[in-house]
Amino acid sequence: MARAADSGAPPGRQWRQSTVLLYLRSLLALAIIWSLIALWVGNHVILPQPTSVAYELFRLIASGEMLVHAAVSLWRLALSYALAALIGIPLGLLMGLWPWASDLLDPVVEILRPISGIAWIPLALFIFGIGNELPIFIITYVALFPFLLNTMAGVRATDRTLVRAARTMGVDQRTIVRHVMIPSALPQILTGARIAGGAAWMSLVAAELIGAPSGLGFAIEWYRQLLMTPKVIAVIVVISLLGYLTDRGLRWLQQRLTPWSTGIGANP
Amino acid sequence: MSQPVPSGPKLRLDGVRKTFTVPRSGATVVAVETADLTIEAGEFLTIVGPSGCGKSTILNMLAGLELPTEGTVAMDGRTITGPAAERGMVFQDYALFPWKTVFENVEFGLRYGPHGKGLSTAERRRRVARCVELVGLGGSEQKYPHELSGGMRQRCGIARLVANEPDVLLMDEPFAALDAQTRIILQEELLRIWGETGNRAERRTVVFITHAIDEAVFLSDRVVVMSAHPGRIIEVLDVGLPRPRTDATRTRPEFQALSQAIWNLIRDEVYRAATAAGSAGGARD
Amino acid sequence: MSTRRWPRYFILPLGLLVLWQLWGMTLPARSRAPVPLDVLASAVDLIASGRLPMALLQSLGRVGLGFLVAGSIALVLGLLMGFFRPVERNLDPIIESFRPVAPIALLPLAILWLGTGTPAAVFIVAYAAFFPMIVNTIAGVKGVERRLVQAAQTLGVPQLTILRTVVLPAALPSIFIGVRLAMGLAWMSIIAAELAVGSKGGGGGSGGVGEMMFVFYAYYIELDSIVVCMIAVGLVALAIDHGLRWLQRWLMPWAEQYR
Repeated sequence: MARAADSGAPPGRQWRQSTVLLYLRSLLALAIIWSLIALWVGNHVILPQPTSVAYELFRLIASGEMLVHAAVSLWRLALSYALAALIGIPLGLLMGLWPWASDLLDPVVEILRPISGIAWIPLALFIFGIGNELPIFIITYVALFPFLLNTMAGVRATDRTLVRAARTMGVDQRTIVRHVMIPSALPQILTGARIAGGAAWMSLVAAELIGAPSGLGFAIEWYRQLLMTPKVIAVIVVISLLGYLTDRGLRWLQQRLTPWSTGIGANP
Repeated sequence: MSQPVPSGPKLRLDGVRKTFTVPRSGATVVAVETADLTIEAGEFLTIVGPSGCGKSTILNMLAGLELPTEGTVAMDGRTITGPAAERGMVFQDYALFPWKTVFENVEFGLRYGPHGKGLSTAERRRRVARCVELVGLGGSEQKYPHELSGGMRQRCGIARLVANEPDVLLMDEPFAALDAQTRIILQEELLRIWGETGNRAERRTVVFITHAIDEAVFLSDRVVVMSAHPGRIIEVLDVGLPRPRTDATRTRPEFQALSQAIWNLIRDEVYRAATAAGSAGGARD
Repeated sequence: MSTRRWPRYFILPLGLLVLWQLWGMTLPARSRAPVPLDVLASAVDLIASGRLPMALLQSLGRVGLGFLVAGSIALVLGLLMGFFRPVERNLDPIIESFRPVAPIALLPLAILWLGTGTPAAVFIVAYAAFFPMIVNTIAGVKGVERRLVQAAQTLGVPQLTILRTVVLPAALPSIFIGVRLAMGLAWMSIIAAELAVGSKGGGGGSGGVGEMMFVFYAYYIELDSIVVCMIAVGLVALAIDHGLRWLQRWLMPWAEQYR
């Protein structure tokens, strides 16, 4: 640690280039190790070569099959995410601003929260059957809590001095909520949005795997039953890539909307 | 400049230059520009200067936490290449281990470092207990740092240093974060711990960094004045006030005169730095 | 003040419970919909017969095993990656490319490789627990105050001892955040894994509370029992988190500021 400080990091651009190179080198090493293990296993159903995964990935994309799966999943994700935000943020504001609201709602939230979305799947299977409703219900449920809790905590953490400062300027309560409390809670609301995004992806896969007739989660399981392992891995790659891009997008949004905030928050 | 030469210097900076590379732009900043300095054994030497003058850099180089870009830093004639137990340090932000109690903090160097080798557990405990008493922390041995006030934390930091029995005591603005009253008390206690009233030959060498001029004058045998952009030694002054120093020392005319002289040196420097600020960039303090 | 407020806490949960029960009583007698009193009866039955505790223990065992494997690898790797930059620069790309892979998405592969029994479930748990652990260990090590390392250095303490006596305890609060996140994720993943194994493994009978829920759904349609399992899953999640918090306080009495 002390040694690293004295080594003198090279200037910006050079550094970025060397990171990319290192990244490619590490991934190449990984691909070679994978390939060797696959050779040793010698069974392409159990572990196919990385090249055949790449080939299948290309074919799935070229034939449009991947697009269909991804579109269905993303549509479900977007709908449930929006639903979760529409319910979670106003409820969080309500609970953050008025103690009676949080006294009433908090016990219910605390009772439900430890029950993970995934534990709802059997009951939801019975209520909704296999279809769109099940994943949408599960994802909304899972994404709801990060939105709600972070909004509430953000509003409560508003600096009292800022509120008092606004009050001494003769500003009314509505304006204070709108222009002081919500902006000051915004960084944390967006942190909640990112946590919700990660949790939503994870439960999307689980929900589709078990209880949906389409989508990326369904596709992995479908191809496994057909013993098309290269396609299974190809879909996993796409799921991870989309998950990564979603998080990047939300991070970008966070930086755009709250440039004054330095905390990027923990990533579960 | 005064350069007394009895028995060879304890510490020596020889043509020391230190530059940093700014991570993003790749620009080079000079933190310390060709410094020569000798520090005698048993001497209490203070370095003062405005922020950005490189005084902490010099102390870090003496500690071996940083190495000079050019020139050498030596102790007893041997070049310093890294931190070692002979050169202990007290930090402005205390740097106490939060997961250890006062006793365990003071014990740390003896327990895990080379200076405790050969001590039995009982001897080690006795020495730690003595040091805790010495700094006036008796009764707080089992407290954690977060339960202590700032002044008590720094007492603990001093005890940790003293327990390890280093040859050289390096102090990096140790009282800067304390309130004025606590500061005055700790200054007097530091001199007592250092052995001001005792035999001169038994005193350790102290290098003390501060930006407070009165503190520098009150504590030291010699004061080194530095300027910023780039960090340079501009003057070395003998204090010459009689020891032991007391409250009365602060009201003596020599004390006032010396403080004023140092302030004049630094004030000139502050004005010059302000006019040159546009081109110079910032050196690390 | 809290004594005046406490009745409010019960209004909504009790109200919902009563409404739920009343709604249940309007249903035809043959309805399978779960109703609070039936859920209670079924809970008594499941606990008394020992079926629920057994299933929970089995799931917990898998979580423990998976967590132990993932945790020890992540701890060692995280300490090294945080402290030695070359290690980090070479391994970080690999870890970052696997991190976005949802653990559940690997389930089909795990079944393919390890069958429908405990090993597949443990694999998923370990995978899920690994990333929060390593990410937080690295962050913890990097966040260690340089001053503390320097203080140990100026006391003459050797580098490897510093790693053990300074860096590890200083990073412990952050490592513990990783442990808590990892355990939460592991418990969630085990339910998902067991559910999916139950539904897709062709009735291999792998056990665990997740499979139990699926069996209640698919073969018996005992919705009351499913609700009991859901509540049990929630309670275990709470217990795990509270246990870890307690452990954290016990292990780190100094870390007031981290709580």
